[in-house]
Amino acid sequence: MQTLEHLREFGVSGFLVVALLAGLSVVAMCGVLSVLVVVKKLGFVGQGVSHSAFGGVGLAALLAAVGVLPDWPLAQLVVVVLFCVAAALGMAAVSDKRTVPVDTAIGMFLVGSMALGAVLTQVAQGVAAERGRAGVVQSWEAILFGSILTANWEDVIVGWIVCVAVLVTAWIIRRPLLFWAFDEDSASAFGVRGRAMKTVLMILLALAIVVAMRLAGVVLATALLVLPGAAALKLSDRFWPVTILSVLMGVAGLVLGLVASFELSWQPGPCVVLAMTLLFAASVGWSKLRSVASVAGASAAST
Amino acid sequence: MAEAAVEFKGVSYRYPGAAGLALDNVSLRVEIGERLGVLGPNGGGKSTLLKLMLGLLEPSSGTVRVGGRSPREARAAGVIGYVAQRADAELGMPLSVRDVVTLGSAWRVPAWRGVPTEIRARVDRMLGLTGADAFADKPIGKLSGGQLQRAMIARALAADAKVLALDEPTVGIDASGQQMFADLLARVHAELGVTIMVVSHDLRAVVAGSDRVACLARRLHSHTSPQGITPQILAELFSHDVAGLGGVLAGMHVHAHAPSDCCEHEHAKSAGDAPSTVKLSVSGRSKDARAQGGPDANS
Repeated sequence: MQTLEHLREFGVSGFLVVALLAGLSVVAMCGVLSVLVVVKKLGFVGQGVSHSAFGGVGLAALLAAVGVLPDWPLAQLVVVVLFCVAAALGMAAVSDKRTVPVDTAIGMFLVGSMALGAVLTQVAQGVAAERGRAGVVQSWEAILFGSILTANWEDVIVGWIVCVAVLVTAWIIRRPLLFWAFDEDSASAFGVRGRAMKTVLMILLALAIVVAMRLAGVVLATALLVLPGAAALKLSDRFWPVTILSVLMGVAGLVLGLVASFELSWQPGPCVVLAMTLLFAASVGWSKLRSVASVAGASAAST
Repeated sequence: MAEAAVEFKGVSYRYPGAAGLALDNVSLRVEIGERLGVLGPNGGGKSTLLKLMLGLLEPSSGTVRVGGRSPREARAAGVIGYVAQRADAELGMPLSVRDVVTLGSAWRVPAWRGVPTEIRARVDRMLGLTGADAFADKPIGKLSGGQLQRAMIARALAADAKVLALDEPTVGIDASGQQMFADLLARVHAELGVTIMVVSHDLRAVVAGSDRVACLARRLHSHTSPQGITPQILAELFSHDVAGLGGVLAGMHVHAHAPSDCCEHEHAKSAGDAPSTVKLSVSGRSKDARAQGGPDANS
């Protein structure tokens, strides 16, 4: 296997370990959030938030061009995260109104942010060239279509800090969050602060999505929030087993995807997503087999 | 005068941007331990009344008090056990009936503490009282309409609610399920003595197990015992022009068949006024009747 041979070479194994560590931080938090995303039908929110990153990248470029933002990749990432969080909260706030359905609100923010990003990047390039700072406007492809194989230790550290923050927050509010996620109206009537739950969930999703984008790219980031949970829900109907299975699905998809990427020399992001899609298909198959077996068992017992 | 469980005093409410009032000068007092049915057509202000009681809306004029407190304070303190319509919940959530019932009170427990044994004991007691103990470990998404309703009532009671407020409780439940529902409310009332409010467009749901019935179509039309409801009250209530459509009813038809000697147009003030031979049939479909529950399989 090429993967095993590569691992023996120190240089290759080094960046594979970095890629794996960065990837694990992403699939751990996405795996946990994925269950809520699937049950609450928030997959399109993921698409909206990830595409909002275009606007954030444009804003970061402009801030860098005028000299407000330091010339660090991390500073750019912070601006993108803040922009995505603001977009997520904007979607939640606008869709609260009876006149704007939630998918319309997401669609508006999605296209609006992309258009804003394109315009701001163009303006930033002009401003930077005028001021002789052309180098500070960084390639937005690095953030929007980032590859896990180019991940460095800084990405690993950022990934795990965000992962731990997301998981600890989710653990602290797990009971009111679950109550609200199951039954929003009743939870509010019982005293749960529904708007706060929605806001926190949106922030957690935005954080996870921006970090996930570095693994799989903007177009595929949603997959990491949808596929592990959808697969796990086919295998169990208990909360903690589903959550653990969802994380395990993410980890398995990551490892299989990276190995496939090495073996076949395909891009790692799409490989990870395809591996997760296959795991989902296998889960559906397993669930169908199990229901057929239980029906057969029941009819055998009754005869 | 003793404190009421719930009290509306001259309450009116107008939704932002709406031309007319959703509720018009409603005064209603629900005594502690009373069982009140609120009957009215779709669009008649029943849901608005509940939202005002829960503090999710503020009245345009008048006051609402729940157990002597403002609705917001009462909600924060968990005084009201709200049982919503079935279709409102995410039934794909991987939670058991026991999980859902426990969350109703355990959400207040700090994250770093386990669920206290007194909450677990109360959950067990309420699961038993509502008959939900038989399916307590089933996934919440695999219940019949009647079973889910019992689980939701158990959740409200386990949260130690003083007022049980049920919104359209018989939507998606067949006739035998409705009888079991009435028996369940009677059992809960006898055992715990909680105040119960049943809000519905369905006459049978409201009448079964209520001490009094408030007839609401934007205004409070009458306030009587279940036996005091006459065909005239129903005809007036359900033909009320709630949608501003010249009396066209939104999915609600009332047929009142009464002997000729009881057709005077008057509101019954007491149970003694009720004609015993009146036959009523009310048919209608809630605008929110999305859930289609089967018969209660566990009966």
